[in-house]
Amino acid sequence: MKKTTKSNAWLYCLPAFILIGVIVLFPILYTGYISFTNMNLYHWQDFTFVGADNYIRALGKVDSGFLSALATTLLWTGVNMVLDVAIAYLLAVGLNTEGLRAKRIYKTLLVFPWAMPAYVSILVWRVGMFNTEFGLLNRLLTTLGFDKMDFLSKNTPAFLSCMALNLWMSLPYMIVMIDGGLQSIDRSMYESAILDGAGPWQKNWYITIPSLKKIMAPIVIMTTFTMFKQFDILYLLTMQKGAVSGSTLQTIITYAHQNAFVSNNYGLSSAVSMVIFVIIIAFSLWTNRAAKAERSEQ
Amino acid sequence: MKSTGRKKIQLLFLNLFFICVCLLALVPILYVFLLSLSSGGGALITGASGTLTLENYRKIILEEPFLRWLMNSVVLSVGTMLLAMGTSVSASYAFSRFRFRGKNTAMQLLLLLNAFPQILSMFAIFRLFRLMNLLDSHAGLIFIYAGSMCIFGIWNMKGYFDSIPIEIEEAAKIDGSGNLQLILRIIMPLARPAIIVTAVMVLIFVWNEYLFATTFMLREESYTLAGGLYQLQANDYSRSWPLFSAAAILVSVPILVIFFSIQKYMVSGLTAGGVKG
Repeated sequence: MKKTTKSNAWLYCLPAFILIGVIVLFPILYTGYISFTNMNLYHWQDFTFVGADNYIRALGKVDSGFLSALATTLLWTGVNMVLDVAIAYLLAVGLNTEGLRAKRIYKTLLVFPWAMPAYVSILVWRVGMFNTEFGLLNRLLTTLGFDKMDFLSKNTPAFLSCMALNLWMSLPYMIVMIDGGLQSIDRSMYESAILDGAGPWQKNWYITIPSLKKIMAPIVIMTTFTMFKQFDILYLLTMQKGAVSGSTLQTIITYAHQNAFVSNNYGLSSAVSMVIFVIIIAFSLWTNRAAKAERSEQ
Repeated sequence: MKSTGRKKIQLLFLNLFFICVCLLALVPILYVFLLSLSSGGGALITGASGTLTLENYRKIILEEPFLRWLMNSVVLSVGTMLLAMGTSVSASYAFSRFRFRGKNTAMQLLLLLNAFPQILSMFAIFRLFRLMNLLDSHAGLIFIYAGSMCIFGIWNMKGYFDSIPIEIEEAAKIDGSGNLQLILRIIMPLARPAIIVTAVMVLIFVWNEYLFATTFMLREESYTLAGGLYQLQANDYSRSWPLFSAAAILVSVPILVIFFSIQKYMVSGLTAGGVKG
């Protein structure tokens, strides 16, 4: 009886494992293999092994662009996360003010950007907000008497534009999550704090934020990964085929994609992909460990 | 009395503030909605002169291959859902119910694989599919989508299977039902909420995917809605913003409807999983 269940278990998993093996696992291994070759447009079939050359080129040479892309990615992730959590926290606390009767309406309206398909939102912003002719921002600028501005043609404005869009898209999720966390805090803690003479700042600092920390940690980590891996915004806004906007901003993911599908440096692109994979694994192992350590402390 | 007065003013300001924030959140969507109703080739809403019209919606549905794209999206979504759910329901059931060697390692390994951004292995898949002659075919895309959602499905549903008490199954076993019967008659109905939500997430994923859809589909008539919409705004010659806007609204409506009907479950499901992890 026991033996049949055991072989059964693998049988149940087999279709899923075959699918994942072909679509997920094999391409990763194959990417690793390509990363040690000089495969490119001219060496499509007759590529040769070049050892760690691609890795040396990506990590060792400053002009390969990978290191600056990595710096951009880290800056992007850091700034976006801080703003995302801080703004969402303020809005969620505001929504939970006693006596705010329209809370549910606000919450429903605020969720819309989250519900929209992401690529539609990005294209809509490209056309509706940032576009030099029809974009709402430029119409606003011209009505106010300023010159038109191409938001996506230079690196700094492009970075800020992408950031604004990213926050617009990701804040609703964070607000809803923090709002959920706020509901779970024991009300009696506030009551006794008020008896002790605590003001609103002290309540936030000593009760709300420490209580939220534990609930929010997994969500914040997940969101950090999403922001780190963000590709669509920068790609669709500034580097669409035939509509390159002029900024040279690259994150590591767009860098890998451009090298594979635009400049056809498959070897280099694959090496970069493997480096990114290692970074992600290291980061997730580190967060897992930190979470475990915190749990064993309590 | 004085303090309630102050509170009222505070609330008034807070309400004003939130009305502004909501406007900020909705402006891009409202603007595109207005664009989609405007007449003319993109000069749009210049004061009162522009009249509102449904012309763009008529044009996008009848004159562009919109229905074809819709059809492709439906085929891909349903195909992916069947393949992804078929494989991941049984696997997640096994992971939840059976004890076998390597189970925890396998679960962790799946999570690790899922951390690899699929854009990065796109080229490898492209080469593989060229070899297997799966480029430019719906089957190929269905495989890719199902493969990438399979891990998510397994993890998502395993958690729910874990919460179904095993005693129910044991009782059924004593009553003499076989394994297959057990799954179809007892487990599937019990796990219905989790299965439905996972399936809906798969549907939304396919509906919203544009990158693989445009890279692996080489002819315009095999595009999905996402690919078609991308094409509409990328193609300089046929570029008409009102038309694009109408298409964007049409594509988003079903997703908005689905999102708001399962939102409650999504939020609670996500937080519950988060706290556990």
